[in-house]
Amino acid sequence: MDIGIAFLLTSLVSSVASFFTFLRCIRRDAWKTAKYLLVLSTISFVSAFFTLLYYFLARDFNVQYVFEYSDIHLSTAYTISAVWAGRQGSLLLWVCYLSVFNIALLSSKRDKVTALSLAISTLVIIFLNILLLTTSNPFARFNFNPGNGIGLNPLLRTPEMIIHPPTIFVGYAGMTIPFALAVSGIIFGEEWIRRSRMYLVISWVFLSIGIFLGAWWSYKTLGWGGFWGWDPVENASLLPWLTASALLHGMIVEERKRGLKLLNYILAILTFDLVILATFITRSGIISSVHAFGQNPEARAYFGLIVIATFVGIIAVFYGKKNFNGALEGTREKLILGNISILLLSMATVLLGTLAPLFIPNISVDKNYYNHLEIPLGTALIVLLGICAAVDWLGRKEEFVRKSRLSALAGLMAGIAVFAVFKAMIAALGIAIFFFALLNHIQDLKGTKLANRRKIGGYIAHIGMIFLFIGVMGAWIYEESYKPVTLEYGKPTKVGNFELKLVGFDVAEDQEKLSIISYVEIYENGKLQTVAHPKMLFYKLMRQDRVVSSVEVLSQPLRDIYIAMGGVSKDGSKAYYEFYVVPLISFVWLGSLLIICGGTVAVLPKSHLGRNRVQKEVEKNL
Amino acid sequence: MEKLKVALGAVIIVFAIAMAFSFKSGLSPYVSVSYVVEKGEVRNVQVNGTIVPNSTIYLENNTRIFELTDGKTKMKVIYTGILSNYQEGIPAVVRGDYYNGCFHATKVLLKCPSKYEVMEKNYSGMVK
Repeated sequence: MDIGIAFLLTSLVSSVASFFTFLRCIRRDAWKTAKYLLVLSTISFVSAFFTLLYYFLARDFNVQYVFEYSDIHLSTAYTISAVWAGRQGSLLLWVCYLSVFNIALLSSKRDKVTALSLAISTLVIIFLNILLLTTSNPFARFNFNPGNGIGLNPLLRTPEMIIHPPTIFVGYAGMTIPFALAVSGIIFGEEWIRRSRMYLVISWVFLSIGIFLGAWWSYKTLGWGGFWGWDPVENASLLPWLTASALLHGMIVEERKRGLKLLNYILAILTFDLVILATFITRSGIISSVHAFGQNPEARAYFGLIVIATFVGIIAVFYGKKNFNGALEGTREKLILGNISILLLSMATVLLGTLAPLFIPNISVDKNYYNHLEIPLGTALIVLLGICAAVDWLGRKEEFVRKSRLSALAGLMAGIAVFAVFKAMIAALGIAIFFFALLNHIQDLKGTKLANRRKIGGYIAHIGMIFLFIGVMGAWIYEESYKPVTLEYGKPTKVGNFELKLVGFDVAEDQEKLSIISYVEIYENGKLQTVAHPKMLFYKLMRQDRVVSSVEVLSQPLRDIYIAMGGVSKDGSKAYYEFYVVPLISFVWLGSLLIICGGTVAVLPKSHLGRNRVQKEVEKNL
Repeated sequence: MEKLKVALGAVIIVFAIAMAFSFKSGLSPYVSVSYVVEKGEVRNVQVNGTIVPNSTIYLENNTRIFELTDGKTKMKVIYTGILSNYQEGIPAVVRGDYYNGCFHATKVLLKCPSKYEVMEKNYSGMVK
């Protein structure tokens, strides 16, 4: 037997044993045994992971998974990243993460809620462990010994793609814990919101980082529709992000004892369901080939898990019905509900578009569907965020008017200025909304104590959203694209407001690939902006040469100049390009980074000095 | 509270209607290679299929001709433009017009990079 499989069997046995032990912990003290079993299964998973990593580094192409995702030329860093390039390896990583989260949960308060939560999340582990031993076995071997592997897809050979999957899977795995705590909390009639907040925020931050890295990769990869193309895989990761964001806000209301108990509970379950859906979509590509869905045995297993999780969630509601009483109160709370509704409508839109090809054969849903719905929703969200920031918890009207009057005026002026200069209505409207929302947040932040990390973190994330909004608007509505552009050697060619001149070629070679580098001078109004060197990369792979266009981006504060090379004529006198000018794209990245920073600030431990002050401030505000 | 419920309900209903309309207009059907070839002339369609191995001819001006198949019929596709990570034997979606026995593509979409189904299929029989 392969040692990897031996580890997976050990983990399965210890997980099953720990599941029953956790159930026992509900009534009596069996924590010590439970801890040993959990640690044993975690060690087994991590060992299985390192075994797989070893097979990759040892170039053991007899292992099918190693054969499919690496070859002898692959550099060490990309060989390591190949471990999570496919379905099997990423599932293994997922389980490792969830085990670590379970250990964290075990180290917290030891009571019946924790015990039942651990039992639930151990069930998820057992489910994935069975998949790893059957349909997604990373250790399956050939009955012959191939001398080389197929190789990692060249498009995945970028630094972003090394870290994107491992970050996004932290987010996915972590969302299991709030789900488990929610169900247990409701069954036992105990508080679950405060306990799960930390797990939720951490998972949310990792999910945000993962989505951001994916968008960044997609932007720099030609043919992937820019930073966001409403691709099923992108959508899959956005879905749980939307519901988790909604839950983060619903929690604030519930913590203040102002209602939304049932909604929060539903959101916790929905987020978990969507995480499972996302795991499946990301690694199986069901959406792009409908026929594979029916035949894929894993599809039924994942679908089964979603159904069971939802069913358990519903049953628990009947158990703990009394825990959902209390109506929604307060102006700000109602506005938060408005924001949650927007996030949920947005989720419903994405979900319908992503799953539609499963139910209607032979169709695709084009970008316009998403843009028609998501752009108005996004705009409404930003306006509402701006309004929310000016309303305090007491819902004082004069306070709201005082703050928003200033921001609205500034926004109006900025909008008029933009319209006067650029004669663009949408841009003017966008800028007006941008300033209104931004200034309301800044005004409210001014009076906030530094120790109030949650509020500061939340507001940083909001400001990130506001920047993201204006960046997306600029990049989507005002992008200029020129293709194909043919450049003749030495001859300046006019492209929009620019002049491009091909001034030379170069060739470079390393172990993985041969590169043809072209040198293109980019002039604007006669002034040299940069000498770009877009490349074509010819990968040395077993099956055939794979040619990838490597893009060159000149980033300026308010726009990117983006050029990609697609070919050279036989005599080398001409080369073919695509050329783009993308306004405000830097705001997309800035916004994303602020969102991530905001989430991180919100989970930073409060200093002891600050805690009392926060308490006082909260009391004062109430 | 009642007012809030009514308002939320109204928003959801209005949005659902907008969703239905956008969904309807955002759907674009795929047709098969066999259908296109049988018709002889079709405009502005989306065809999915697999790129036939060893069928690609590269022309000057960044143009290439390749064959697309649905397993039954093959058709020639002509496309001008950059296709990063182009590869034969993988599924692709082409959009454009079919006339004079050739598909003139304005857009070619290649499948997601994390999957190698074709290779998997070829080797799957050999697993222990």
